[in-house]
Amino acid sequence: MSYLEYTVKTVPSGIRKLLFLNWPLALLLTAVASVGFLMLYSVAGGSFTPWAEPQMKRFALGVVTMVLVGMVPIWFWRNMAGVAYLAALALLLFVEFFGTVGMGAQRWIDLGFMRLQPSELAKITLVMLLAAYYDWLPLKKVSHPIWVALPVAMILLPTFLVLKQPDLGTALLLLIAGGGMMFLAGVHWGYFAAVIAMGVGAVSAVFQSRGTDWQLLKDYQFRRIDTFLDPSSDPLGAGYHITQSKIALGSGGWGGRGFMQGTQSRLNFLPEKHTDFIFTTLAEEFGFLGAFSLLLLYTLIIVFCISSALSNKDRFSSLLTLGIALTFFLFFAVNMSMVMGLAPVVGVPLPLVSYGGSAMLVLLAAFGLVQSAHIHRPR
Amino acid sequence: MIRTPLRPLARILDARSRGENPDAIERENIRLRHEEMRDRSRLRAEGRLLMLGVFFFCAFSVVGLRMGALSASEPSEPRASAAGASIVAQRADIVDRQGRILATNLETYSLYAQPPQMINPERAATELARVFPELKAEDLLEDFTGKRKFLWIRKKLSPEQKQAVHDIGDPGLMFGPREMRLYPNGRLAAHVLGGASFGREGVHAAEVIGVAGVERQFDDRLRDPAQDGKPLELSLDLSVQAAAEQVLYGGMKLMNAKGAAAVLMDVHTGEIISLVSLPDFDPNDRPRPATEGDASDSPLFNRAVQGVYELGSTFKIFAVAQAMELGLVNPDTLINTKGPLQWGRHRIRDFHNYGSELSITKVIVKSSNIGTARVAQMIGVARQKEFLRSLGLFEPTHVEMSEARAGKPLLPPNWSELSTMTISYGHGLSATPMHLAAGYAAIANGGTKVEPTLLKQSGPQYGPRVMSENTAAAARTMLRKVVTEGTASFGEVAGYAVGGKTGTADKPKENGGGYYKDKVIATFASMFPAHDPKYVLIVTLDEPVETSGAQPRRTAGWTAVPVAAEMIRRVAPLLGMHPEIEPAQLADITLTSN
Repeated sequence: MSYLEYTVKTVPSGIRKLLFLNWPLALLLTAVASVGFLMLYSVAGGSFTPWAEPQMKRFALGVVTMVLVGMVPIWFWRNMAGVAYLAALALLLFVEFFGTVGMGAQRWIDLGFMRLQPSELAKITLVMLLAAYYDWLPLKKVSHPIWVALPVAMILLPTFLVLKQPDLGTALLLLIAGGGMMFLAGVHWGYFAAVIAMGVGAVSAVFQSRGTDWQLLKDYQFRRIDTFLDPSSDPLGAGYHITQSKIALGSGGWGGRGFMQGTQSRLNFLPEKHTDFIFTTLAEEFGFLGAFSLLLLYTLIIVFCISSALSNKDRFSSLLTLGIALTFFLFFAVNMSMVMGLAPVVGVPLPLVSYGGSAMLVLLAAFGLVQSAHIHRPR
Repeated sequence: MIRTPLRPLARILDARSRGENPDAIERENIRLRHEEMRDRSRLRAEGRLLMLGVFFFCAFSVVGLRMGALSASEPSEPRASAAGASIVAQRADIVDRQGRILATNLETYSLYAQPPQMINPERAATELARVFPELKAEDLLEDFTGKRKFLWIRKKLSPEQKQAVHDIGDPGLMFGPREMRLYPNGRLAAHVLGGASFGREGVHAAEVIGVAGVERQFDDRLRDPAQDGKPLELSLDLSVQAAAEQVLYGGMKLMNAKGAAAVLMDVHTGEIISLVSLPDFDPNDRPRPATEGDASDSPLFNRAVQGVYELGSTFKIFAVAQAMELGLVNPDTLINTKGPLQWGRHRIRDFHNYGSELSITKVIVKSSNIGTARVAQMIGVARQKEFLRSLGLFEPTHVEMSEARAGKPLLPPNWSELSTMTISYGHGLSATPMHLAAGYAAIANGGTKVEPTLLKQSGPQYGPRVMSENTAAAARTMLRKVVTEGTASFGEVAGYAVGGKTGTADKPKENGGGYYKDKVIATFASMFPAHDPKYVLIVTLDEPVETSGAQPRRTAGWTAVPVAAEMIRRVAPLLGMHPEIEPAQLADITLTSN
């Protein structure tokens, strides 16, 4: 049911909105980010440069963004969903042609003060668009083939562009997040069953294509899969990340080696120790206790998002909040699984903890949407 | 015009007929249906949300459990799973009978290169060539800049070399841990230990495999992880072995021999206390097998268990013992020794002319070929064969060395009566010194066969009886007299009552045409103390010649016997034996009589 059917008289206005912010959520986000500062301080060998300080500044900027986004009424964002989606698509196209090549992939647009990664933006705008779409679509049409094909196209378009960069991890996240949105909106079971069946077929096709002219994935992507399936096959080469991070986790034990005592990460055994693999530093220095606490913090964020979504009678707000929670969940679940050898190594950062500007900003902006939905919920 | 159906039709028609406005009914109906629909969608949404919640929960559990599992796991280097990790490197030590180390392992490093990871191949190549003068910088550079992704440079590094390579500092030069076999005593017991080399090699480990001696014989046992590194206990005694080697080496030089062998064996347990073969080698740096020349002159050749020689007069005691056992003769029986003994075209001579008759004891003491041949004639072909077979002279010894299987005795192709006669004084049948030791041990221990063994035993062996105790005792009395009044007078060692028999056999020519006149194998087969023997000692010299006299002397009495006596003098105290006074009657009273 859409906002048009509610009266909005009861919604707080002006500066009073701050009081109605989802404060526990904001505090949890700050707590997670603080863990990130601590770890970045540690991997830099006990120094705020080069990582911890810029990260803190960016977090401050991100919090301001979150509050600002949160103050804007949710119906504005709903109306902007289509525009935002198109803008993200345009940026993806732009990066395709003018982007900066980094690590073998065209992913960034250099804005001068920060590097924008449009694929990050695409994740959020896709969730927004899908939420708006299902808010608009009458319930009984949800499972109608035509009305299913449309959101599928909405999902596939950015997915394809991201895959072209190439960034397999983000592309998969887009697919899963989009699919999750459709699932939550109530699309019929049968579609998902069919897609899963096709997915299995596609995976086998990808493996079949290996070594042929029409190879669907890059060699390094195949190698990552191989390494995931058997990290010991190449412990000094492609499996290096995983073996080293497993050593870090194992040497952390239950209580950890103590703050700034991690050897694996601080002695440069681990590549990308401040970005995608920062979780290993945490696990080594604070052990199972520290790692599990972080997992608990993440879980609490998800729980607060879901409870906010459940208490929200507006369909757009509810779907949007769930969608963002799902995206956030996918981020850290995939990152942790990857670090612990449960998933192949795909370039997915640990949200709010890994060093990286645009990811954090976009994520905090997305939580701004969650805040907006929370503040402007029908009462 | 689009007509929307009026629902619920029945109630509307009713209302119409009653003249009421049906709109209210229709509106209420629509409201109810909307509510129902919303409830349904709510239910479905909640169901979906529940599914999502379950999915989240599962994912969290998996991640959390994995975290716990990893935290609980021991951090292990990826080495364990690297290529070649299946190679089990740990090899058990080999120790002597007192637990002293004969072979152990040493941690060292191999050097290999991964050219793709090299920063400066030119510099690496030149610096490496400086550290290892035997490597050429050009060759290395060619390897480093070529297509190869991996190459071995050195299999073993000394710590200094490793540091030097480390100082080059090129990340493409890597070290792989290596376990290498170390023989801390150098050449000591080289032939027994044999040696080891690398088998399959991986970056992080290499297989050490035994290539000779007990290392090869017990390769599986030494590498068996189930043995848990338990050392292999040999019967050798390190101090005795060292003394024996020293004496034998001196004796070989003194007697101008080109080779020598000695076997010291416990007559009750069959344990080999010492086994020497000269020339020898350093098992830490095993020489390559010679590709030319006689293999039996190579330092790698084990004369004690591989070399089959005609052992000459040392065999006479077997013939005499058998004849006594069969009751054909007793020690005092007189034997016709008038020579030469003509048999077909063959003549049997003695070294000296011993007159027309000698007692059996004198035949042994003076070492009369003719007398022994006549005894052999009494025994006959079949019985002689059976007896020698019972002493183990027909097949290789079972001593635990891979080389022992090669020491198969050479038997005459057709065993004629003439063969019986020549074999009785040690010609026509070739055997190893180890065979001889086993045969003498049977006489020494009272008449039962023993299998020589290199493994430490816990108690005496009780093999099949080959002769009665009386016969063995009588034979020992004769052997004692050989030393006190016969050919082995240099063999007397005060307090140890050595008994034994000399044997000087002309070496057969390689092309099979008769015998050399000036090349002999001189052997002294001894036991001590003769009245209650504990040990048998066989000393064999290859082509000895003693030149202190006017004429060069080659007989065992002048060559092998003094060496053996010196060895007993040195070794007996090490074996814990005290000099003792010999029971007087043994020299004169015979225990067998008709």
